[in-house]
Amino acid sequence: MKTSFGERVFSSANYIILALLSLTMLFPIVHVAAISLSSKVAAEGRQVFLWPVDFNISAWKHILTRTDLWQSFGVNVFVTIVGTVVGLFLTCLLAYPLTKKAFVIRKIVLLAVILTMIFKPPMIPYFLVLKSYGFYNSMLALIIPSLIHVFNLMLVVTFFRQLPHELEEAAHMDGAHAYQILLQVVMPLSKPVLATVGLFMAVSYWNLFYHAVLFITDKKLYPLQLKLREFITESEGLVDIRVAGTLEYNTQTIESAAIIVATIPIILVYPFIQKYFVKGATLGSVKE
Amino acid sequence: MLYSMALPGIVFFIMFRYIPLLGSVIAFQDYQILNGIFKSPWVGWANFEYIFRYPDFLNVLKNTILISTYQLLFGFPAPIILAVLLNEIRLMVFKRFLQTFFYLPHFLSWVIIAGLVFELLSLHGIVNSIRHLLGAEPILYMQKSEYFKGIVVASAIWRETGWSAIIYLAAIAGINPSLYEAATMDGAGKIRQIVSITLPSLIPTIMVLFLLKIGSFLELGFEQVYVFLTPMTNSTGDIIDTYVYRVGALGGQYSITTAIGLFQSVIGFILLWSFNKLSNKTTGQGLW
Repeated sequence: MKTSFGERVFSSANYIILALLSLTMLFPIVHVAAISLSSKVAAEGRQVFLWPVDFNISAWKHILTRTDLWQSFGVNVFVTIVGTVVGLFLTCLLAYPLTKKAFVIRKIVLLAVILTMIFKPPMIPYFLVLKSYGFYNSMLALIIPSLIHVFNLMLVVTFFRQLPHELEEAAHMDGAHAYQILLQVVMPLSKPVLATVGLFMAVSYWNLFYHAVLFITDKKLYPLQLKLREFITESEGLVDIRVAGTLEYNTQTIESAAIIVATIPIILVYPFIQKYFVKGATLGSVKE
Repeated sequence: MLYSMALPGIVFFIMFRYIPLLGSVIAFQDYQILNGIFKSPWVGWANFEYIFRYPDFLNVLKNTILISTYQLLFGFPAPIILAVLLNEIRLMVFKRFLQTFFYLPHFLSWVIIAGLVFELLSLHGIVNSIRHLLGAEPILYMQKSEYFKGIVVASAIWRETGWSAIIYLAAIAGINPSLYEAATMDGAGKIRQIVSITLPSLIPTIMVLFLLKIGSFLELGFEQVYVFLTPMTNSTGDIIDTYVYRVGALGGQYSITTAIGLFQSVIGFILLWSFNKLSNKTTGQGLW
């Protein structure tokens, strides 16, 4: 089909604008990574753009030998693994009865669950009640309150509903009880949605901040995001002023290295999990 | 059996969503930590009367409303525009490439994004480098209160636009292609098709997302603003969520700040309810 001149202008402008915009999504990360690998003189001299100038890894050496950062990294790994595994299991455990007619209170439970999306508990009562459960300065505060997320639950419920019932019935005939059916029939059939929801959960556990800010003051329990925040706001304390002149790094290159350390795990897994996320996001929207 | 399966999930929602919600009654008490909810004296509406005569609260409310309004004006249309433009990209490989970049920032935590922004806008950052090249004086953006709201809104747009566009892209994919064919026959150009077909077809999706947005009008998200705030920007940057955290959770003013949180939820609910009604009347569409 013949396209008019105006159409071609629109189309090429569209390609160029979107390409440039999409690069701005990447630019800050690449820029900060470049700074973290440059010498402090180059960083202060505003010479670094997208590629390291005076290549220098001393900021990285300093960061990677800090035990407090590794401790936070460990907290993050532990919380993410335990939270995702337990949360995924609990989500399925609640989702399964919600799809069964025999579970007569399912509509009330479903409504009560969805209402929590509109009526969120205000911060202070939430803080006081969870504190009374003994969650203050406890790893439990990082894991337990985030185990079941309504959006994820709805994704699993929607998926369970459209599974063929014949297999479940056959298993039921063979004398399997509900737990066995869920674990041996339903969950293996639900791998795609479990992957999606599991990844959503893993990312939100990895980036967890709200509960950490509210409940964790003990630095040994700091997850990565709190540690990184400390680096950014208290960066002056990172470099010993008495020896600053003799060091090869400064606060700017150290902060940059710390930001990249916290970003790397996300960047590494992102290309592999992108399609699952998109599937999950649209599944959720179709439901609306 | 099904009941025992659902039990852990139900207990979860009661313990971590409903009990804290009921804990909001301390907004009507003079809550004392030693007496707890049951023994603290009731004070009626006194806390609410107090907050409305309190200059701090009025300032925080003003900041919240302003930032929320900017988010709605600039942040809400952004993913619609992006989705429409992305949809016009015919080269599938290129489109997928663009989408990969646009979705990425959504998975970075606010702490990481704050780190990137602080770095880009620092004295030695890229923005001031450009100013330096142009012969302008450097500006300490993060410490100037007049830039704060703009930085918050811009970074929220940077993080969420690509991800939010997914839902609109899914809605566009659902439009009947014969509409476009007929329009092309009638000689309608690209722009004409966007205005007369794509945008009107998106209205139901836009309405639903707009209502959800309105319902959380005063809830900007604690994390983002908290990680950007510095003592220098408190005057224009402090919003309800960060104020409640600082004065309530850290300062121990439990009852007053719970009253503020409750006020916030009630306003959100009223807005949601009235806009839903308005939407039902005008477009026949609503959340319920």
